[in-house]
Amino acid sequence: MKIEQIKIKNYKAFKNATMHDVPQMCVIVGANGSGKSTLFDIFGFLKDSMTQNITVALAKRGGYKEVVSRNTKGPIEFEIKFRESGKSELVTYHLAIGLENNQPIIEREILRYRMGSKGLPYHFLDFSRGKGTAVTNELFYQGDIKELKREEQTLAKTDILAIKGLAQFKQFPAAATFGDLIDKWHVSDFHINQARTTKDDGYAEHLSREGDNLALVTKFMYEQHNDLFNSILDKLKKRVPGIESVDSKLTDEGSVLLRFQDGSFKDPFLARYVSDGTIKMFAYLVLLYDPNKHPLLCIEEPENQLYPTLLTELAEEFKEYSNVGGQVFISTHSPDFLNAVELEDVFWLVKNAGYTEIKRAKDDSLIASLIREGDKMGYLWKQGFFEGVNPR
Amino acid sequence: MKHLVFLLEEESAKALLENLLPRIFQNITFKCIPFEGKSDLEGNFVKKLKGYNVPNTFFVILRDQDSADCYVIKNNLKEKCVDASKPDTLIRIACQELESWYFGSLVSVEKVLNISNLSHYSIDKRYRIPDSIVNPKQELKKITNQKYRQVSSSREIGNIMDYRNNTSKSFNVFIEGLKRIIE
Ligand SMILES: Nc1ncnc2c1ncn2[C@@H]1O[C@H](COP(=O)(O)OP(=O)(O)O)[C@@H](O)[C@H]1O
Ligand SMILES: [Mg+2]
Repeated sequence: MKIEQIKIKNYKAFKNATMHDVPQMCVIVGANGSGKSTLFDIFGFLKDSMTQNITVALAKRGGYKEVVSRNTKGPIEFEIKFRESGKSELVTYHLAIGLENNQPIIEREILRYRMGSKGLPYHFLDFSRGKGTAVTNELFYQGDIKELKREEQTLAKTDILAIKGLAQFKQFPAAATFGDLIDKWHVSDFHINQARTTKDDGYAEHLSREGDNLALVTKFMYEQHNDLFNSILDKLKKRVPGIESVDSKLTDEGSVLLRFQDGSFKDPFLARYVSDGTIKMFAYLVLLYDPNKHPLLCIEEPENQLYPTLLTELAEEFKEYSNVGGQVFISTHSPDFLNAVELEDVFWLVKNAGYTEIKRAKDDSLIASLIREGDKMGYLWKQGFFEGVNPR
Repeated sequence: MKHLVFLLEEESAKALLENLLPRIFQNITFKCIPFEGKSDLEGNFVKKLKGYNVPNTFFVILRDQDSADCYVIKNNLKEKCVDASKPDTLIRIACQELESWYFGSLVSVEKVLNISNLSHYSIDKRYRIPDSIVNPKQELKKITNQKYRQVSSSREIGNIMDYRNNTSKSFNVFIEGLKRIIE
């Protein structure tokens, strides 16, 4: 599945912004406070809404009044257009959340797409304030519109998503794919010191947001996916000179230690004595070689602590993941990282009168023209080309 | 309205010009492109000449002389500009370095860094002719007791420098060149 477009209204700094032609690997640059993390958090918000409800999703973020763009009343709106696969129809999921009597309610929730290439967009699900209609026999992409059966439905509460609340949608491909994307969405905001911490013995398949379960995932990979684990080691050895192997050791006290073996010494180093860059590189490899890839992976500023030359290879690694696994969004400030990516991959966020605008590098004729002449994204970013032609 | 693009050796020149130019010229828009030193500038500026697709753009290249031969530097740059079909690019050299221009206006350095009596150095025979000072950056740091900061001081100097009374010849040649393009 691939997201093609994201439209946001009245969500924090995004008062009205659209991201068009979202690529398979999407690199987002922008100054501090321009809204990069907020953009990622849209998926977090949708996930909280789906696994729980919008009241919880809002409360986690300080409540409706904190979340809705300053000086606006709302509604908060998201519209995500996606395709299940390269050639399939464009599906639109639309959600509008307002406030009524101080209670957040779902003003509108729509799932729509065209039946056939010439048909009109058809609302497979259309709900407002807990009531609406839903198709009960989705004839995905084929079939005759006349055969569709619609039913009036009422949800248990007005803050529950219909896409979650209606059991029949689980069998609908479009709804199921979208639900799966939101459910398995992952953000990586890696914190070195978290990754160094010793963990009580346990079990973890996926690297957590901050990487604090690295030792456990290492153990899992070593035991359950030894081939993958070995390819991670191979990559690590090529990138970090001296490293021979990595393992997780269970201590007598029942905790798991991550250890790095340096070829020059007999005894391995505990993670807490290994360089930041080494741990980070290892953690990204563990994240990217995950046997169950995330359909949507967001990575916060991967550059910190990494040696500039490693960033080129890391960018290639993310690209590879986006080809074989899911879609990847990466926020960055790093010119070195940007130098390794393509014009088509890059978007930038810039604040205008307090609200974020989303710009696409490819649509900027000056940037595109300079790239054609052999310039690189990172240099242009550093030289101030992402702010517009005139600095004043 | 003319659009000028300045191809610069480093951030400090950008910091200076972004604050100085609007005080001198009101009828232009401009963009400063800082490179990472001379070799980056020399190696990569042609891409900007070729790729910069904004109509009515004039290019200005500014680099430090740094004890190289002015004539050779200019000719070399000129040749590349001609090859890139931008023969009318203005090429200017700060002799010896950007900081020579600050020696040409020690009054403004004095104000910006809040050091009293710095301007008396302009009658010192070592500093009297700004463009002849061999290592102006080092010297400026020395006489300011290391208070001079390349980027932030340049920015502030740009804000207040009396550009009509600068004793650096290369500074005046630079400004005259700009006037010719703009007016
Ligand atoms: N309700 C709101 N209305 C407008 N702006 C908001 C609102 N909530 C937060 N912001 C702004 O959003 C920005 C947060 O951006 P963030 O996503 O953390 O940026 P980045 O990750 O790019 O550094 C801050 O500048 C903050 O002031
Ligand atoms: Mg952030």
